[in-house]
Amino acid sequence: MTSSGSLRIELLGRGYVEKKMSNDGSKKQFWKRNSAKVPGSIQHVYGAQHPPFDPLLHVNLVKAGNKMQMTPGKPKKATTFQEFESITSDAWDVGDDDDELLAMAAQNLNIEVVMETANKVIENHSKLQERQQKQERRIEGEQEEGEERLHQQQQQVEEEVEEEEEEPSPESVRLDASPDSRMVKSLSEAYIGYSKEVYGEKSSLQRQCSLPQRPVIPLVARMADQNTSGTPAMTEREASRLDKFRQVLAGPNTDLEELRKLSWSGIPRQVRPITWKLLSGYLPANVERRASTLQRKRQEYFGFIEQYYDSRNDEHHQDTYRQIHIDIPRMSPESLILQPRVTEIHIDIPRTNPLIPLFQQPSVQEIFERILFIWAIRHPASGYVQGINDLVTPFFVVYVFEYIEEDVENFDVSSLQEDVLRNIEADSFWCMSKLLDGIQDNYTFAQPGIQRKVQALEVLVSRIDESVHRHMQKYEVEYLQFAFRWMNNLLMRELPLRCTIRLWDTYQAEPEGFSHFHLYVCAAFLVRWRKEILEEKDFQGLMILLQNLPTMHWGNEEISVLLAEAYRLKFAFADAPNHYKR
Amino acid sequence: MSETYDFLFKFLVIGNAGTGKSCLLHQFIEKRFKEDSNHTIGVEFGSKIINVINKFVKLQIWDTAGQERFRSVTRSYYRGAAGALLVYDITSRETYNALTNWLTDARMLASQNIVIILCGNKKDLDADREVTFLEASRFAQENELMFLETSALTGENVEEAFVQCARKILNKIESGELDPERMGSGIQYGDAALRQLRSPRRAQAQSAQECGC
Repeated sequence: MTSSGSLRIELLGRGYVEKKMSNDGSKKQFWKRNSAKVPGSIQHVYGAQHPPFDPLLHVNLVKAGNKMQMTPGKPKKATTFQEFESITSDAWDVGDDDDELLAMAAQNLNIEVVMETANKVIENHSKLQERQQKQERRIEGEQEEGEERLHQQQQQVEEEVEEEEEEPSPESVRLDASPDSRMVKSLSEAYIGYSKEVYGEKSSLQRQCSLPQRPVIPLVARMADQNTSGTPAMTEREASRLDKFRQVLAGPNTDLEELRKLSWSGIPRQVRPITWKLLSGYLPANVERRASTLQRKRQEYFGFIEQYYDSRNDEHHQDTYRQIHIDIPRMSPESLILQPRVTEIHIDIPRTNPLIPLFQQPSVQEIFERILFIWAIRHPASGYVQGINDLVTPFFVVYVFEYIEEDVENFDVSSLQEDVLRNIEADSFWCMSKLLDGIQDNYTFAQPGIQRKVQALEVLVSRIDESVHRHMQKYEVEYLQFAFRWMNNLLMRELPLRCTIRLWDTYQAEPEGFSHFHLYVCAAFLVRWRKEILEEKDFQGLMILLQNLPTMHWGNEEISVLLAEAYRLKFAFADAPNHYKR
Repeated sequence: MSETYDFLFKFLVIGNAGTGKSCLLHQFIEKRFKEDSNHTIGVEFGSKIINVINKFVKLQIWDTAGQERFRSVTRSYYRGAAGALLVYDITSRETYNALTNWLTDARMLASQNIVIILCGNKKDLDADREVTFLEASRFAQENELMFLETSALTGENVEEAFVQCARKILNKIESGELDPERMGSGIQYGDAALRQLRSPRRAQAQSAQECGC
């Protein structure tokens, strides 16, 4: 059933396309099928490429590498962790560099804080001394308090620099502070206040309510390793990495395997567009063939537009188009935040996002609408599903950045030459299509790909961190309740865009990165919050935590650590399926 | 961490995409309009304690995605819901026409006794109105739904919608029409009584212990 089922859909799709070209007689055929509102109708598509999940089988699939054109001649023979480590050793340097910077910064900051607080104490003290003797007791009290505060602040700074997540969660304090059961009204108000902090003005920081007090340094330090947007001076290591990339890219035939190895630990901004196009299989490895391929592909895409885009208001397509048209303008600005800016840290949420003006431009919204509409009608088995729109963004942003040297904030897309913009659009379309080819069963009827992956995630987590798993079971939190979105939007709703872009460097370098490795990343991501999870002692607290994980300040280091852990899990469990199986 | 309330009700917010379900929930919990509301993927969770007829009721609310494709996931949340807000957009007849389908789903998948309030949202956009109050009210009456027109933007009738739905459930419990003990009722007793016996100090000590792990 499975193989013939999906084959039939493909044929249906093609049949439709052909009919559409000859005449318009076959209206309402396939498109409405998917939106039949008959409850429980199971008539669809478990794709032939996606048999029911079996970890054993899946492992073999990964190894077989059924994307051969992307991994020419290289069934990943790796190997030991040492080998991996030596290949990607620089993945770890990120942290090292930072540690040094952070230590230096912390030192400076310590002195600053110490001095400031000390001055305050002295000031207090001298003021108090002028007062009457009656108050002497209080003077002593405040002095002690001042010293204590000084001490605390010092400690806090040290702790925060060491480990940013160490703060006591403000809500637990709040809840503990109002246990008076008679004052129920104020209790309910307390809850409201509590959730305000969770989603409220500080919504983008979520639970990291104490960010304003946090030293500025981590973010500043992070600026240096952001290779997504205009960066200050490159470090030596970055320069040498860029050189390596340039060498690999220079030859007449790019060694994709080598490029993949290099890319796993992050791609320098300067070569990211070309590298993504190569790794996704959009561009051929052979330099001479590239120009003609690009030309052909771009023509093909605009041929689709010419052919189909007018049909967006036809009866059988209007639902799709209307949905896309609603979704694009309300795409989440949070997910568009590319680069935290130093000035913004003081106002505790980034209010201005350099990409928001970009995404508010009608021409950009139209580009997204065209890309999504064309993809949807060419893939009737899934059609347009919310979440797919997010997947265009990283490609579009990376390819636009190829042409932006100056200030992103004031960048007007219409200042790009029309053909440049058309190229960006077509390239984004094809790269997104390649990505979706690997995960289409995430979006077909009943979303079997997601269901399967969420189940696999549960099994995996129960193996790697039983206490987290048990804790969630105890409070009846189901994985589907939070991880559905992780799969449907590839963590894009959980991470800032700069992190997604870094994550995708690796996903494109990893065989089946989006469809398979993502599972391990999700597992590592969940376990990353084990401390916070175990601190929550009820269903509500857990759900709110898991739907608002505080990643706003995340940058490359956090992603590098996450990926390293995911890699470890993949090898621990993929090579030992019996560990994986319960 | 235990909380003080008399009842816990499970609620659902359902209706077509773009009708303002998430904004209604946000307005209810936060008391302000969510400007940059992105579309919901799957479900999102919210919770609030309200005071209804001298009872403290904790609402656990599942805000569902409106898009058809997510129906297979969102349906699993219907089971065990005590109340639902069924939302349409007064400026979009299409969302109103879909109500019958949503209603069928809710009645079939949730408990038979689910209390549903129909919400005609975006009341503030009266100039663009496509669905009159009268016809929606008639639909509500024919299908035994409560009915309000709401505005997640101004907050008008938003709290009322949740409170009215909760009040009706409480009334049904008091009249014996609903049995909270029954499986899948979507209702649980709170631990208010239990909590009152405990001294605050002991409660604090206990929670401190819990956090120490």
